[in-house]
This record gives sequence, C-alpha cells and structure tokens, in this order.
Amino acid sequence: MQQKKERLSNQAVRSYKIKSQLIRKLRTRFATYGYEQVHTPAFEDYDTYASIQKTVNKNEMIKVIDRSGKVLVLRPDGTIPITRSTALDREINGSEQRLFYIFNVYREQGGNGSSKESTQAGVELFGNKQPEADAEVIALAVHTLKEIGFDNFKLEVGHAGFFKELVEQANLTDDELQQLEELIQSKNMVEMEPFLKQLKISEELQQALYAIPLLYGNPQAVLEETKAIIRNEHMQEVLNNLKDVTEVLADYGILEHLTLNLGLINNMHYYTDIIFQGFVENIGKPVLMGGRYDQLGEQFGKAMPAIGFAYEVDVVLEALKQHKRIEDNNNPPLQLLYVPEARGNAFSAAKLLREQGYPVITKPLDRDAEQAGIIFQANGRVVVNGMEHQVKTDDELLNIVEQATGGV
Amino acid sequence: MEKLTIALAKGRPAKHTIETLEAADMQFIDFHEKSRKLVFYNADESIKLIFVKAVDVPTYVERGAADIGIVGKDNILESRAEVYELLDLGIGKCKFSVAGFPDYTIDANRPLTVATKYPNVAEKHFSRKGQEIETVKLNGSVELAPLIGLADVIVDIVETGNTLKENGLAVLEDIDDISTRLIVNKASFATKATEVRSFIDQLNHALERTP
Repeated sequence: MQQKKERLSNQAVRSYKIKSQLIRKLRTRFATYGYEQVHTPAFEDYDTYASIQKTVNKNEMIKVIDRSGKVLVLRPDGTIPITRSTALDREINGSEQRLFYIFNVYREQGGNGSSKESTQAGVELFGNKQPEADAEVIALAVHTLKEIGFDNFKLEVGHAGFFKELVEQANLTDDELQQLEELIQSKNMVEMEPFLKQLKISEELQQALYAIPLLYGNPQAVLEETKAIIRNEHMQEVLNNLKDVTEVLADYGILEHLTLNLGLINNMHYYTDIIFQGFVENIGKPVLMGGRYDQLGEQFGKAMPAIGFAYEVDVVLEALKQHKRIEDNNNPPLQLLYVPEARGNAFSAAKLLREQGYPVITKPLDRDAEQAGIIFQANGRVVVNGMEHQVKTDDELLNIVEQATGGV
Repeated sequence: MEKLTIALAKGRPAKHTIETLEAADMQFIDFHEKSRKLVFYNADESIKLIFVKAVDVPTYVERGAADIGIVGKDNILESRAEVYELLDLGIGKCKFSVAGFPDYTIDANRPLTVATKYPNVAEKHFSRKGQEIETVKLNGSVELAPLIGLADVIVDIVETGNTLKENGLAVLEDIDDISTRLIVNKASFATKATEVRSFIDQLNHALERTP
C-alpha cells in the first residue's frame, strides 16, 4: 500500500495515464469502424489558412517566422490539413476514405502555454455524400460517447444550410449577422424580437428567423414543426436531408441520444450541411463537434463530399474528472528485491517477467527500509507475500508471480 | 426526476427572485433575508438553490456547477459566458450607458480612455463602432474618473441618472438594456430537458400572472 500512495502522488504520470487510456479507447473504436490513422505536420503554411475565409480567426493563430522569413502557423485545426492532403493525393480519385487523427492543435486564447495547446481526436469520411455516411459518423460519435462512460449525454444535430439560406435572403451587414448569430446561439428570444423588428426584412422572414432557436428537441417533433418555415425549394431539400439522416439513425437505434437543434451554429464556417455537437451532463461546452463540409476540398482544387467530427480531448478529461469517472487501475510495477548473491538470478527473472509484459523494477534488498516486493534469496529461494518458495524453472517463477499479482 | 441546481445572486436581487419563485409554487421555507445559509432546498428537494456573488453566477452556470442561473444582464454580458438566455424576469431594470461631461464629444481619431467596472462590455461596444479605446478597470466610484482626469468617459450601469447628475455628468449614449435574466447551462438544457423546461414554464406562468 505504501508504494501505491507514493506512485499516485506523481500528478504528471497520473494525468498522462488517464489521457492515454482515453485516447486508446477512441483509437480502438475509430479503427473498428474502418478508419485509419493519419498524421500531418504541426507547422503549416500561413497562407493556406489565411486564404480560407471565416474558419479560424487570424488573431487566434500562432505564427512563427522561419529563417527565410516565411510565415508558418502552428496547425489550428485538424480538418483543414487532412482535407488538403486528401485533395492533393492524385491516386485517391474520389474513392471513399475513412481517416482519423489524434494530435494537438494550437490557438492563441490568452493564458499560459498549456491553454494554447489542446488535443483533438477526430474522424473524417471523404467521398460519400449519402445520408448513410452522415448517420455512420454520428453513430460513431454516439458509440464513443457511451464507451467513454457518460450516462447522460446528448448529441445535438442541426443543419448549417438552414440558417445560411435564411441569412442570404435577409441581406445583413457583418455586424448584424454577428449579433443575430449570438442571439440564436444563446436562444435569447427576449432580445431577438426587437432585433428582428428593426431589420429591414419581410415579416415572413422575421418569423422564420425567430423560429430557428425554438426548433429544438425530439427529432420527429422538430421535423414536423420545421415544415412551417419552409420558404423555398432549397430549404425543402435541407429538411428532406435531415429527415433522411434521422431515418437511418433510427435504424442505428440511437434516436434517444439525439436532439435536433436548428439553432446550432458552428463558428467554423466551412460546414455546409448537417452539423452536430456532443454535450455531457453539466459541461456547458461541447465535448465533440462535427459536420459535413462538402466545399472545403475545392479550396485545394478538388471538390469532394466530406463529413467528420473531433473530440476536444481535454474537455472530455475535465468532464470525466467532474463526473468522477476516472477509474484508478494504476498497477504499480513489481519490485524485485535481491540479496547480493541472488543479483544475477533477479535480473534474469526480471527479464523473463518483462518479456511477459509485467512492469518490473529491480533493487538490492535493504533490511532497514520497509520494502514490499518479491525477494530473491540465495540458493534459488524466492519470498512472495511472506511465503518462501524454492524456484527451479521459469514456469515455476511465472506461476508464483501470477498467483501473487493476478497476472499482467 | 433529476435534481436542478439554481444559482442566485446574493443580496437585494435574491429576495425579489425568491418571491418570484414562490409565486411559481416553489417554496423555500427556511429562507429568510437575514439567513447566512448559502444553500436551500424546496419541499421535495427537487430544487437546490445556491447563493453566490452576482458576477460569479454566469461562471457557475457555464461550468455546470448550476443548471440554471438568475442574474442581471450586466453580469452576463461582462462574463461572455456561453449559456442560453431564456427569460427576462422584468426586475432590476436599468441600462448600460456611456457617460461623461454633458458637452463631451468623442474624437474618432484618437483612442478614448474609458473607466469602467465592465471592460468587456466597453470593449465590445466601442469595437462595434470602430472606436479604439483604452480601458481603465475600476471597482467602484467610477463617476469620479472623468472628474479627476483619469478617463474621458465611463461605461456603467445607470438606473435613475441621479448619481451622474450629482457629479456633473450625463449619459452620452445607451449601450444595452439590463434586467434580471434566466440563463441555462447548454448541456443541462439537452440532458435534463424535461426538468429545465418545466421549471421555466412554471416561472413563466408566474411572471405572466404578475402585472
């Protein structure tokens, strides 16, 4: 017990272990849906990002100048570099690609160094624009949320096309658009009404915009309510798309975890269609965000349908901590203690055990210190938990250790 | 039924809010003004009230320490918390205004010095107008700043305007209307949808009944 306490006190080891367990879980699950891991460089060409409008705020990018005076940026997002490398890969030619990534992204947001760095774990599915693809990605999000261990979570699903369509008709200034987005994102109905009244738009359009934040809740009910504000063919297509995806999701058996929220707006403006965010109990920030972004590929010379999402790993860890969902299965390494005559024996035993996957630390036995472990005495005697064994073969040693520890 | 935690601002607004809750059939028997307790339950313990400093209410709600918060719009704006803002309780009405000497005109060509308890509100207001500013964060007696030359103007809450008048200042422009609002944690709105909605409906009915 003494040892265990000591080990736990090392915060860095502990928090890394928890993070790596979570990442392993996500990696395994992404892989079982047929996604393959990719990696992209942390330093990217600044111009790539600066030229893509309305994605990452330029002031939030962390820039570096290299020796030749070229401006580089620490990648602020995972989707853009992966879309680019996929678009530029001539051999792929439109075939379906299922990719995932787990890496850090960097944004300037005040505070110290660690708050500028965050780990994202995400998937991207390229080359398929069917509702089945949307549903597959959403189902994977739900599957992983469940597996991470949250009892009470909801995936909010919205559609970027809906709001964009209405806004296009309204012809707003940038300032008005930003205010409107803020009002919708905070479902601020109180201030929405006077705000819409002072805009020079038709009453019908005012009503449609006013309805958006309220289109929230059970998928079937919201789809029904949405019919009332359909103003043109494109909006009808959007509604049909939402309906199709919902039907596929029903067959995944996960409708209970879904909430439709047509007031969902993602600040990454590359999303074109379905968008979604995952919320877990009490955590006001989404733990994952995603959506369909069929036009981003064009920025790199190749149009291709694409949908994906990414976990904010650090927000998930924060949520796990708050929900006390962190299992403490911290197995301390075995301690092999030896008297001088048995040193060689202890080292070969350690090698054997390590090859079996046991974490092992070897130390000379110190009679004065309180040490707990497997003690190697002279003449092949081994003491485990106060019991002395005569060990002759490797198998005998492995048996004893397995009984004492319950195996690897 | 999941339990709801509601964060209220300590002090004067709390009494008013409790009255509104009681009008909505939510009784907190052991609450009285003089009490120093910070946590109260209703009869069936389905609702837990916690009293925190007004400026902290948005943070409590954004971070999920409370599902719902009842607090002035001034604190919501300043905190920039990402929460839903669903109801106006119609109490504690006042305004955010820019104030200064009555004859002061803002020079758009040089940075304006603004003294305020609300630097985020001031920055947002002036950046929308394209006016560069330098903020001086003060914690009280903001009206003093223009008088002693610490700032050109102030951004502050204005209720009656009497304090301004007595110090020879006047409202130059209004920024926003303020009143007590109900805010909700975005995750609670999704994961405790039934409880949150029925609480809001109950409160809304009570508000509609009172003139």
